[in-house]
Amino acid sequence: MTAVVDEGPPASLAARLVASPSLRLIGKRLLTAVPILLGVSVLSFWVLNLIPGNAAQQLLGAEATPEQVRALELRLGLDEPAVSRYLSWLGGALTGDLGASLVSDQPVTELLWSHLAVSGELVLLAFLISLGLAIPVALLAAYKPNSLFDRISMIVSISGLSVANYVLALLLVLVFAVQLAMFPAIGFVPLGESVGDNLRSLALPASAIAFPLFCFYTRFLRGDLVDQLQGEDYIVTARAKGIGPWQVLLRHAFRNSTFGLITVVGLNLGTLIGATVITEQIFALPGLGQLMLQAINSRDFVVVQACVVVFAVVAVGANLLADLLYAVLDPRIRYGSR
Amino acid sequence: MAVVDAGAPALADQPMAPRRRGWARGLEIVVPATVLGILAVACFLGPLVLPIPDPIGGNVLESYLPSFSPGHLLGTDPNGNDILARILHGGQSSLTVALAVNLLGLLVGGTLGALSGFAGGITDTVIMRLLDVLIAFPSLVLTLAVAQSLGPSQTNTILALAFFSVPAFARVSRAATLRLRELPFMAAAGLCGTPVRRVLLRHVAPNIAPQLITFAMLGMGIVIVIEGALSFLGLGIPPPAPSWGNMIAQGQQSLSATPMLVVWPSVALFVTVLAFNLLGESLRARWSRQ
Repeated sequence: MTAVVDEGPPASLAARLVASPSLRLIGKRLLTAVPILLGVSVLSFWVLNLIPGNAAQQLLGAEATPEQVRALELRLGLDEPAVSRYLSWLGGALTGDLGASLVSDQPVTELLWSHLAVSGELVLLAFLISLGLAIPVALLAAYKPNSLFDRISMIVSISGLSVANYVLALLLVLVFAVQLAMFPAIGFVPLGESVGDNLRSLALPASAIAFPLFCFYTRFLRGDLVDQLQGEDYIVTARAKGIGPWQVLLRHAFRNSTFGLITVVGLNLGTLIGATVITEQIFALPGLGQLMLQAINSRDFVVVQACVVVFAVVAVGANLLADLLYAVLDPRIRYGSR
Repeated sequence: MAVVDAGAPALADQPMAPRRRGWARGLEIVVPATVLGILAVACFLGPLVLPIPDPIGGNVLESYLPSFSPGHLLGTDPNGNDILARILHGGQSSLTVALAVNLLGLLVGGTLGALSGFAGGITDTVIMRLLDVLIAFPSLVLTLAVAQSLGPSQTNTILALAFFSVPAFARVSRAATLRLRELPFMAAAGLCGTPVRRVLLRHVAPNIAPQLITFAMLGMGIVIVIEGALSFLGLGIPPPAPSWGNMIAQGQQSLSATPMLVVWPSVALFVTVLAFNLLGESLRARWSRQ
């Protein structure tokens, strides 16, 4: 596992950086991320423009006079062709200016930052809870496949994967907020005000997001571990050396399974967006999901467009990060074996 | 994916697999399939055959009846509508949307993926890069935006969800086609000068169909949950027409007083999705054993 590879005669730092396989991989992945993000921005711009009806008319309501509509159109630049509007939007986005909200006139970047923190904390907590529980459960289950514990954990996890997150959220509210009154049902306390209250206000929403993830990770990790324990040569070698079963599981099988787990976690981060939109709505949390839903309902397309791009950046970035971690952790990639 | 006999020897490769007899292994597929069959019959034929009231236009004087009331097995909602009737009618729209979305995704995504895997080269790169964009796209966002502007309707929901199910099907189909391409009979078809269209239809399609159908089973569960989410947010099936999602949303408003308004549609949602997931998993296990 910790083979030391002789890297040959010492070269200059720059030459070694260029030759570094992990850096090359990073560069290559970054290059593929750019067209994807451009594609997402074009597609979302196109779709939001495709939507029938006049945006200015809809914003002002049915009573607006044609002069008012015309004035707003001019102010928003809606009279220009879509391509030039997209290019000016892209130019602004690249310099960190995403425009101003059509409804509140606040700069979109300001709105995004204030809402991003809440969603970020929510997702981080959900990941901590789900991974913190899934890893020990999967290890225990894989320690003795088909044991009672393994069977129960598999039944729980496939059932858990079948529960819609909005149902789970309401169930948690019903039990822990309404019946037991342990946690608040709605509302958010910023981290700056009180750490304890902040965590209490996020406990239920984070659990609602975490539970399906926990089920998914448990299934995935348990399956991966069992596959390795059954089929891999290095497990046979380790066992033949007389290493105890827990050691084999933790030091040999689990270390290899972390690769798959990292990839899956990276992929999940992109799909979590859907979960945050609904969960934030149920628990009235001022996060990105709520910002976006409000923007959609008030037809504030500037904000919707910005949110779409942020979500795509998070999804692509998470995948990229997973790939990079993979490269850093896997010695075969790190040392560029061919 | 050559056709291999799925007999006893397959089990011998899996020393840790639970030792079950043939009929017990069959149960993993038969039980969820039966549950789904019963659900489908209940949703589509139940309202026609059973003596249950209409899902809309109930009497407000009969609102909030508890479960197991005479004439209303699962009670009534705030508008006095029968909950069982609404669950059955809601199930019709959930199943219809899920089936339509997965059929569209399977046909379009399956074709794109098979073309991509079969042709390789620049065709492959272009198709897969375009699909990467769709995968990175927050699909729920767009579905919500489209639903909000076009007005919520069943057709819009189906089209929006189908659009985003295409890349997943394409990936499954491409991977299966790539594995297939290595097999002798494909080379033979190529050497015989079989036209590409015929190879895709007669050789590739029947061989990748099992994987795609298995994936569609898992997809059914996912789409039912997402359709519920859209209706829950008020952007799916428009009320007063019933759907499990908008029933749950309606029940949420009086969660502490009448929790059963949320519980019944949630149970229907859970059982349906669980059955699809179990069926998908068992089918997948069966195919991977072969």
